[in-house]
Amino acid sequence: MAEFTATVHQNEFLPDGGTDVHAIVSVTCTGAGTVTPMSSASGEAGEIIIVDVSGSMDVQGVQAAAYAASAALDQIVDGVYFAIIAGNHEAALCYPDGMTAAMVRMSPQTRLEAKRSLQRLAPGGGTAMGRWLLAAGQLFGTVPTLAKRHAILLTDGANQHETPQELSWAIEQVRGRFQADCRGLGAAWQVAEVRRIAEALMGGVELIRTWDGLPEDFARLMQQSMGRGVADAQLRVWAPQGAEVLFVKQVSPTLEDLSPRRTQLNPLTGGYDTGAWGDETRDYHVAVRLAPKAVGQEQLASRVQLAVGGTVEAQGLVKARWSADSLLTAQISPEVAHYTGQTELASAIQDGLRAKAIGDDATATSKLGRAVQLARETGDEAATSRLSRVVDIEDAATGRVRLRRHVDKLDEMELDTASTKTTRVRQQ
Amino acid sequence: MTTEPTEPTEPNETTETTEPTEPGEHPAPPPPESSRPTTPDARPDTPPTTSDARPDTAPTTPEEPEPFADGPPPLPQPMLVLDGELPEEQPPAPQEEVDHGTCRCGGKFDADGWCTECGERRPEPRHHFTARPSDRVGAVCDRGIRHADNEDAMAVWDGGEGRVALVVCDGVTTATRSAEASLAAAEAALQVLTGATDAPAERLVRATDAAAEAVAQVGRDFPDSAPSCTFVSVVVEDGLATFGSVGDSRGYWVPDEGTPQRLTTDDSLAEEQVRGGIDRASAEASPLAHTITRWLGPDSPDHRPVITTQEVTAPGWVLVCSDGLWNYASEPADLRAVVREAEGRAGRDPLDLAQALVAWANGRGGVDNITVALARTGAGASEVPVPASEAGDAPATASEATVETAYPAAADAPREGQDGTHG
Repeated sequence: MAEFTATVHQNEFLPDGGTDVHAIVSVTCTGAGTVTPMSSASGEAGEIIIVDVSGSMDVQGVQAAAYAASAALDQIVDGVYFAIIAGNHEAALCYPDGMTAAMVRMSPQTRLEAKRSLQRLAPGGGTAMGRWLLAAGQLFGTVPTLAKRHAILLTDGANQHETPQELSWAIEQVRGRFQADCRGLGAAWQVAEVRRIAEALMGGVELIRTWDGLPEDFARLMQQSMGRGVADAQLRVWAPQGAEVLFVKQVSPTLEDLSPRRTQLNPLTGGYDTGAWGDETRDYHVAVRLAPKAVGQEQLASRVQLAVGGTVEAQGLVKARWSADSLLTAQISPEVAHYTGQTELASAIQDGLRAKAIGDDATATSKLGRAVQLARETGDEAATSRLSRVVDIEDAATGRVRLRRHVDKLDEMELDTASTKTTRVRQQ
Repeated sequence: MTTEPTEPTEPNETTETTEPTEPGEHPAPPPPESSRPTTPDARPDTPPTTSDARPDTAPTTPEEPEPFADGPPPLPQPMLVLDGELPEEQPPAPQEEVDHGTCRCGGKFDADGWCTECGERRPEPRHHFTARPSDRVGAVCDRGIRHADNEDAMAVWDGGEGRVALVVCDGVTTATRSAEASLAAAEAALQVLTGATDAPAERLVRATDAAAEAVAQVGRDFPDSAPSCTFVSVVVEDGLATFGSVGDSRGYWVPDEGTPQRLTTDDSLAEEQVRGGIDRASAEASPLAHTITRWLGPDSPDHRPVITTQEVTAPGWVLVCSDGLWNYASEPADLRAVVREAEGRAGRDPLDLAQALVAWANGRGGVDNITVALARTGAGASEVPVPASEAGDAPATASEATVETAYPAAADAPREGQDGTHG
């Protein structure tokens, strides 16, 4: 049986007149188990693999994608529902065969049939990811007993055959219906576009440099999904009457602004879907603005809860105590400081790359310079390494950098996609 | 940007150069174009353009040819083109709620004692309680600012005719159930001190035994706990104050005129360092300063109180306190200055003065629980007139011998004056 615990890291002391309370709430899940396909208690699991078969994938790419999808099929536990979608400007049902839109249970027989179906894929057509997402939503809907719905989406190109508005519309239609981990192959896809899908569908986005890296990645993704025995959980954030929730962000293992996911559970509580859980720890940064109280007073600033199936499994209390002692109020929790830096690092990288893309070198240099500085301050060596392939670092401490003249597009995309990966607080 | 070939690549052209994924299976050649629909299926409700309009509205770069100039490229048959029709979503189930009491704002408290509406903490009597059995005796026990709980405790008594007993116990924070233990200890000690008339020094020894037994009882009541606390007490009788102490809570004599005295010696590493020659300020500032060497509770070498006496016929204050106060004013002269300053703000009512001293310690940071118990001595105590409503608790003073007979000291009086909220 899965168990959740919540730990709050904060400085609860506010100066006289202080209003803003920041806390990092670490939620840890243990004993999540694996997906249990036949169990009615935790509900059933469904997996959909969406492979890009647009013309740009070429024969090699499609075959690599088919091979990767096969590797993922090998990781799906028997009894789990699954389907495969072949996506171009349309979404076609690659498996199961036949003319009925439905998912089927995995078995040695269906796994073999599915692999055969993959062999029939051929490149052609354009890219309309919104249609792929809608098709996945349609297929998941064919099995009402599914509690855990997860998809892997592979693309190699920009969403040329839909308008951005059409893609947004499709994303909104399927939001909350399933989780999707997205993978971009090569250098021709748009990071921002795919990130939009992954963020809305509570999944990750990563760059796969060449197709030979696909099978391993797909197998790992599917293995990870099978290890998420808790189908769905919701973060609940309560703030007192008259207070304002400034933001709720997941800050580890990846950065995700949860605020757009907020659904109002009652006048004082917002719910934020977190998707499925395995044995893992996720850190959340919660910021609440309170009406100030007199020095010496205290109050609860927020209840942060994790609920599974409507039952609260763990709770962290974020408190506020007003004090005239500046030694107390001036301290910043190391966890809050660390993740604030990591959040700023991600935006500096994304803003810098966006400026670079439109030729605004001055902004790009300043933002990426700031990123180098923040990566150093938060001890994020991986980010420093990725940044060094896009800018020449002259002085990391002050953030003095120069844009490199020749940058591998893939290095730049990797810097972008990995910008939302955070490091954990270093133990003192 | 994706490059969309105007002519679909023939799948079989390059199969020899790639790894087949499954033995014997090669992608089938695409079927004739005529078998494919020429436009994607129209979806209902698709804003802002229709599917037919999509190729015109989709962004394309100049160098790229119109994607479907030769008609849409084929998908292998018999794959079903999915129309993306989504099913209805189900609403979530409602929740149940449990009652934990009501806040003054009208909201409900949760299991942790916080209001579910305004976030206020449920009043916790143990965090701050006071006693004022008479106009000569007052005490305050406060959580302070830094600690989440109050492990200090106190119990005080004014028996009239200048007979007073004060007890302060400071629970050891690192030992569980110390909050319960310190309160039980203080109350048990006061019971002994007020229930007999033998020599104060003898009574203090018995009171300490009773307090230690009360601590042990809490330990038995809560398995897996090892509560511990300090003990300081003073008995004032016939103008003599008799102090007894185990641990690092303290007793002071602060006369209105003359030299203030500290009447207890800490059982602490700091005190051992002082005896070893280190100056008091450095010793008390060291990280181990508050490590006590004797206490009430398991593993203490012993709990026999160290007894001292002080003549207290002159007007002044007998004061016992926990380290939450003396941390900020250890030397008697410093404490006297703090008392003088607090008298200036709060006057000489014992409870008001105790509150003022606690507020002062909280103003200095309140790093620990703070407990102060005060007894006014000497003729000067009658400066504050006794309100008629409190006459039952009124003390007798040397200058008011007639009152002595009018209000006989009641042995059962002490608890009446206390708030009674801390049980």
